[in-house]
Amino acid sequence: MAYPVFAKPKALDRRGFLKGTAASAAAMIALPAFAQTKGELLLWLPGGSDLFCNIHTGLLTDWAAKNNGLTASETVCGLGQDTAFNQALIGAITGGTPPDMSLLWDAPVSLGTQGAFLALDDMMAKSIISADTWPGGLLASCQFKGQTFGLPVTAGIYSMWYNEELFESKGIKSDRASFPKTWDEMRALSKEFTLWEGDDLKVAGFMPPRIPESLAIWSALNGGKLFDAANSKYTLDSEQNIDMFNYFVDWLNEEYKGDINLVDRAGSFMDGYANPSTGQPSAFREGRIAGIESGSWLQGDIYDPAPTFTRWNLAQFPYGPGGTASVSGVWPNWFVIPANSLNPQAAFDYLTYLSTEGAAIWFSQIPDIPTNSQVKLVPPATLIEKRGEDFANDATAFYSEQAKIVAPMWDSPVQGFGNDQIRLAIEKIYTKAATPKDALAEAQMASQAELERVMAG
Amino acid sequence: MTYALTSGAGDKRGPRRRRAGRSEGRAGLLFALPWMTALILFTFVPLLLTFIFAQMKFQITGPPKWIGWDNYEAMLIDSAVWVSAKNSAIYAIVSVPLKLVLALGLALLLNRATSLSGFYRTVFYLPFLMPAVAGSIVFILLLSPGAGPINLILEALGFSPPYWLKDPNAALWTLVLISLWPLGVETLVFLGGLQNIPQDVSEAADLDSSRAWHKLVWITIPLITPMILFNLVIGVISSFQVFTQALVIGGTTGAPAESTLMYMVVLYRAAFRYFNVGFAAAMATVLFLFVLLLTLLIFRSARSWVYYEGESR
Repeated sequence: MAYPVFAKPKALDRRGFLKGTAASAAAMIALPAFAQTKGELLLWLPGGSDLFCNIHTGLLTDWAAKNNGLTASETVCGLGQDTAFNQALIGAITGGTPPDMSLLWDAPVSLGTQGAFLALDDMMAKSIISADTWPGGLLASCQFKGQTFGLPVTAGIYSMWYNEELFESKGIKSDRASFPKTWDEMRALSKEFTLWEGDDLKVAGFMPPRIPESLAIWSALNGGKLFDAANSKYTLDSEQNIDMFNYFVDWLNEEYKGDINLVDRAGSFMDGYANPSTGQPSAFREGRIAGIESGSWLQGDIYDPAPTFTRWNLAQFPYGPGGTASVSGVWPNWFVIPANSLNPQAAFDYLTYLSTEGAAIWFSQIPDIPTNSQVKLVPPATLIEKRGEDFANDATAFYSEQAKIVAPMWDSPVQGFGNDQIRLAIEKIYTKAATPKDALAEAQMASQAELERVMAG
Repeated sequence: MTYALTSGAGDKRGPRRRRAGRSEGRAGLLFALPWMTALILFTFVPLLLTFIFAQMKFQITGPPKWIGWDNYEAMLIDSAVWVSAKNSAIYAIVSVPLKLVLALGLALLLNRATSLSGFYRTVFYLPFLMPAVAGSIVFILLLSPGAGPINLILEALGFSPPYWLKDPNAALWTLVLISLWPLGVETLVFLGGLQNIPQDVSEAADLDSSRAWHKLVWITIPLITPMILFNLVIGVISSFQVFTQALVIGGTTGAPAESTLMYMVVLYRAAFRYFNVGFAAAMATVLFLFVLLLTLLIFRSARSWVYYEGESR
């Protein structure tokens, strides 16, 4: 009987195995993560809704198609907010694979002063978006010691939001002109709404502020500031700021049983959103708080999920005992160009387009306010659909005016560190772990020391 | 037992054997080379770089600058470092012994042969398999003062529950409580030790004393001291490196009011939020040396309390 003869499989010898291993390792190391080339524009976004990402992808693709020799890479959207995004961006910059431009929900000067972003002044001077086409306060948030590290393309503008229907149910005038002008007026009005059942807060008027990112607004409303960019100095423990927190703690004690945790237990009263940790729905949308501070972005977001009432309105921030006039503030949608971008001029040209024509298209779909003076604002379609054209035009005009009175903010070279210190001080003050004076003094010392360390070079 | 010794000088096969031995040794080294290379590249080199960066001002985006011991001096005056070191020490001092006691108790229960032993072992090991981030989020929801089921139950029973993770005076202790949840590995190690206790020793102890407590203290625990040592060393190292739960629950500021701020969180935020790599490297160096010293002390003390089978005392 003949058996079929099979070729003996060749054994893998040690040398062959090691050669194979080495070759595989070399291939893995050598494979480039990105194949971006010159002329191919790459944009990074920290995140946002699908609509937000699609708008940006569409704008870049359309613009690149109209410019010979340029193509748009797929926009990278959603690398994580805040720390995670900054890590990814810094990693890409230092690794030599940066995007050509990036949206930053942070202060451009923080990383700009450390050499991560291009200073845009020369390119701006030769373009249609020169420095004089931006509101001074907004551009200042991208500048440090005479250099501009970003463009304030659109901004979320802060203001007071209030529930007209709740006002009227108490027989209180609900027009914007009648809204409280001072903290004392706001605090007095707040009591009209606040209702406790035992230790359960059912309805609130207004809340003592405690959002770290917008604290610069409240400080300015009381005649103070958190950071003095001109003199490179933090001023967290200024008299105005200590007085401000003493005022807020007094308010908490008088109207909210002195217990911020009791307030939090009852719902999400801080802004117009559900509590991300506990899932408690927004008290504002539930009609359980008369007014909150929030940004222009809420004009779109408030309908998902929809509030229990129809008529909300906007008003200027009341000012404090140490202040004399209202101010506003921003959440930045600032754009930067990494220092080692492959296509810096093309990136700047795109940002020029985005700051003007692009911003108008962006705003028509998402209510982030274009800030360059050349943009003619057309109210967002959602707002027109929900509240009618007159209200939408009024709200848009209101935000345009608010953009002109923004307080200095997002302008520290150690913005993240400073914000963390402010957050910590707020926690200590509201949980009574420290007095305003002590908490602010500690935050001041830490922030100033970090600023000096970073600026020492 | 005796071993036959061969004289290499008089054996003709000696040189060939030595050559074969050398060849095998080279082959062994070559096989180990990829692993050794990875160990050197991804462990030793970063360790060395950490020691070097600790002497530098390095902001990632710019070139590093030699500053000597400045980062260590900055650590000494940084209040966040001291607060986090204190929190980490409290966490370690409380959570490690508690974990050991609870894991041992659990192992003793699981060591009893019942028809459901396998089921219970699986159930108690399962929490270890859950990612720390997911586990932390579950606890945030469970302990939420407003809508968390634990407070709702306590309130229904007439208690006035604490704010758990929202109260600066309670948050660290709550974090310690949460750390006791995944006891699977420690329990398995103890269970392995318990099941290796010789049957004859156990039976002799039963004859000598009818008290279970005496048997536990004088027989069982001494025989599993190697496992206690192992769990203690691993527990101490991991408790000083606690990071994920602390970051998810307290964020980079250790909310509320720094009460959950751990050493590793301060290190992380220095490196990846403030991009102060030199400072973070100095913190990592200090932690490395501290944990090394602590581990050596534990091993040194182990000579007096750990019993290995076959060892005479």
